[in-house]
Amino acid sequence: MKLSRRALAPALLGLSLKGAPRIEGSFALENVDQGHLLRDRAALVRPRETQRTRVVIVGGGVAGLSAAWWMERHGFRDFVLLEMENEAGGNARGGRNEVSAYPWAAHYVPVPDESATLVRELFTELGLLRDGEWEERWLCHSPKERLFIHGRWEEGIEPHSALTPEERRQMERFAGRMAEFRETGRFTVPMERGFARSTAAERQLDQMTMGEWMRREGLTGAPVRWLADYSTRDDYGTRVDDISAWAGIHYFASRQSEEKGPLTWPEGNAWVTQRLSAKLRTFVRNNSMVFRVERAGTRWQVFTEARRYDAECVVWAAPTWLASWVVEPAPPRWLMDTAPWLVSNLTLERWPRDKGHPPAWDNVIYRSPSLGYVIATHQNVGRRQERTMWTHYWALADGRGADQRRILLGGDWNYWSERVLADLERAHPDIRQCVSRIDIFRIAHAMPRPLPGVIFDERRLARLRPRDGFAYANCDLSALSLFEEAQWRGVEAARYALERVGR
Amino acid sequence: MVYVLFLSVFLIAACGLIYELIAGALASYLLGDSVLQFSTIIGSYLFAMGIGSYLSRFITRGLVSRFITIELMVGLLGGFSSSILFLAFTYTNGFRFLLYGMVLLIGILVGLEIPLLMRILKERFELRELVANVLTLDYLGALGASLLFPLLLVPKLGLVRSALLFGLLNAAVALWSTFIFRAHLGNVVAQRTASFLVVGLLIGGMMFASDITDTADASLYADDVIFARTTPYQRLVVTRWKDDYRLYLNGHLQFSSRDEYRYHESLVHPGLASLPGAKRALVLGGGDGLAVREMLKYPGLESITLVDLDPEMTRQFSTHPLLKGMNAGALSDPRVKIVNEDAFPWLERSDEIFDFVVVDFPDPNNYSLGKLYTSAFYRLLRQHLSAGGLIAVQSTSPMFARQSYWCIVETIKAGGFQTYPYHTYVPSFGEWGFVLGALREWTPPETLPAGLRFLNQATLRALFEFPPDLGPVPVEVNRLNDQVLVRYYDQEWREITR
Repeated sequence: MKLSRRALAPALLGLSLKGAPRIEGSFALENVDQGHLLRDRAALVRPRETQRTRVVIVGGGVAGLSAAWWMERHGFRDFVLLEMENEAGGNARGGRNEVSAYPWAAHYVPVPDESATLVRELFTELGLLRDGEWEERWLCHSPKERLFIHGRWEEGIEPHSALTPEERRQMERFAGRMAEFRETGRFTVPMERGFARSTAAERQLDQMTMGEWMRREGLTGAPVRWLADYSTRDDYGTRVDDISAWAGIHYFASRQSEEKGPLTWPEGNAWVTQRLSAKLRTFVRNNSMVFRVERAGTRWQVFTEARRYDAECVVWAAPTWLASWVVEPAPPRWLMDTAPWLVSNLTLERWPRDKGHPPAWDNVIYRSPSLGYVIATHQNVGRRQERTMWTHYWALADGRGADQRRILLGGDWNYWSERVLADLERAHPDIRQCVSRIDIFRIAHAMPRPLPGVIFDERRLARLRPRDGFAYANCDLSALSLFEEAQWRGVEAARYALERVGR
Repeated sequence: MVYVLFLSVFLIAACGLIYELIAGALASYLLGDSVLQFSTIIGSYLFAMGIGSYLSRFITRGLVSRFITIELMVGLLGGFSSSILFLAFTYTNGFRFLLYGMVLLIGILVGLEIPLLMRILKERFELRELVANVLTLDYLGALGASLLFPLLLVPKLGLVRSALLFGLLNAAVALWSTFIFRAHLGNVVAQRTASFLVVGLLIGGMMFASDITDTADASLYADDVIFARTTPYQRLVVTRWKDDYRLYLNGHLQFSSRDEYRYHESLVHPGLASLPGAKRALVLGGGDGLAVREMLKYPGLESITLVDLDPEMTRQFSTHPLLKGMNAGALSDPRVKIVNEDAFPWLERSDEIFDFVVVDFPDPNNYSLGKLYTSAFYRLLRQHLSAGGLIAVQSTSPMFARQSYWCIVETIKAGGFQTYPYHTYVPSFGEWGFVLGALREWTPPETLPAGLRFLNQATLRALFEFPPDLGPVPVEVNRLNDQVLVRYYDQEWREITR
């Protein structure tokens, strides 16, 4: 123990500094009630004022902002973006306190390869890509990942020590199989690019769960099962035994393994959405909840409480399932379930004790029900500060979304902060002495859950085709909650809208 | 009964000698020059005992009660003496004052013990017998203590615990005296309670003893520690062996006063002497002011900004007589501006432009320090450099950490500089490496400042020659997102120190 001046006086008096300090905190960004107004089709006041505009974008997440970005970039300015929250960003929002900026959900973007032209275009505009070189400042700093296993932290996220020879062979075979899928070039982001060329065998993958596929492949060892399950919870909020094998494989097969990335910022992807919203601020209307969208002749009437928008074209960048409650004539219920998430931002007054590999950007606890935590201060270039911010991620993945949402919304702050601390305690026994604040964002519908069958379902494919001036743009159409997918969907919808209005 | 009384004499004598030995050992360990320390401590202690013996004549009544009080005071003071002195050395500037103050106080109290005890016992024994027995046991106790101290106590218990243990013995003597001399005591309960309290405090001290010694660099340094400070950022320790002073930060050697001129002349002059028009200079790290000292040899320089994280480091090297002597008071020069900030974020915020930059950070032995050796860092530094400007970077040893050295060279290149690697032999470090980074072609200086001890035209040219065993090796660039340097460095130094 190092003796600091502050600790000295009580130590000499024989007092110990045990006894956990009080932890403050609250729920953040809660907007459940407004959402339920829509669900209950509450009679909202019809606005008197009308505004004619050629295109309305509903929803200011990455898809909506990207649609706006594309239209503005192509010289089209006769549109508005309606966002129900008080700031745009959707799942890519962030916060800031005196310690650091921190993410509220999405927190990184993999380094886009040569084929990801749209992301590269945007990132060049934001100064992240210059003369073919990525801005090193925002590439994830070393060390990137660590795993708490066998009572200590190890480098990397894949379990690699103390495996039996058979477990090791399975890990290698799993990696080999994923490389084969990658080679086919049919598991891509954006998904549409490779998906269109899918074979019958790949269709077959969508008819079984990932767990089933792994059993058929003889991949039954605990480490390889854990790795697959961790990954499907991370990207889809779904357990390995529930998820479509096609989607599970897509996670591993859609990207080259990344040594140099990803791109990440203390505030997560809010770094991008905040810059986008600033560029587009003349078009973005915050606090504008759209409660009805009606077809009237060849035009669309979009209602918020303040104003009715009379438009030729609607880009629906809000969650696809929400359209059934808002759009008239109502589209059929969306076929995909959604997973709730719990994102907790912890303010730490000091770093907890640690065994093994030093703190990394992404810190995962083997066999924990959570997804571990990301250190928001990791991208700082200064010396390690005494205080830090950790973002703890937890996908409530154990079964149907609706059941998990009841659990999510049923627990109060005391319950959830206790669960989070208990989870972290597995790796950091003294965590309670370090944390001073826990702010929790309960995301009721965080991401789509691609259960078997939905990927190749005709109903999903039908929604991809815009009709009568109405285009869906959310990335849940692809069952992929990814920045690149959302951007691509938004831009695709914007392209359609521009064509529709004759630009 | 008689035996218990004589045991008391034996123990008191042993305790008295132990405190003296502890003070002497502590002083020579922390201040150096053990002959001087032991002589002055023993002298002061014996002198103080004399004062105590003299003062005993003024105690006329309540002898037993006074004796017990004195035992408890000796137990407390002596018991905590080394804890207090260790902590005072680390946290205050008043170590010597406290050291001799405690030696005097303990000496006076110990000087009171034997005269008082003899007077207490004089009714029970004949004077001839009493003097013989007491003095015999007194000397025996001293013998026991002086043998125990080096053979058992210091190696097994350490100075802090030994003092506490003997404090407990003093308190034990006090405690059983409350039983033996029950009849002579006015308030037995009060004396007994006080005795238990002191015993309790000392036992408590024993439990915290390991925390106290941890801060005190026990046996870390081969040479005598003459200065030590713990700051929020690091532990500063200066050691001395004859006229060689060495600064350690967190246990890593920063310089030795005997040969640091070789290092600092090499760090500063090849670059700065080639820039006769240089007006503004920057030093990153280097809070010891030794690089600044070299830079002040250029009257043309108008300002030197020193950015060092640790305010305590720059304060000590500006004010402490010994430390500021090493940099010839460089940090008090009106041309020098001290900024106590973290270099990387400071550069991100600052828009100042410099003609010459010295980069003198600790070696990249962790990811936090490794960030200060990345291409992102050098690219940022480039934005703060005037068109003809130069940077000079301390770059670890091309001998012991050859890959690390050439990795730094490659990384500076990747940051957009033309690089000119060079190296110097610094006896206390070994073969040491530097890199000059320039935005245009660089030519070596034609003149050097007067009064240099190591560099002249001939040695300057030789610095840039690399023998085959130090020459370039294939390495990767150190980037924020892939800190290969920390891995190279860790691997290479581990091979050496194994």
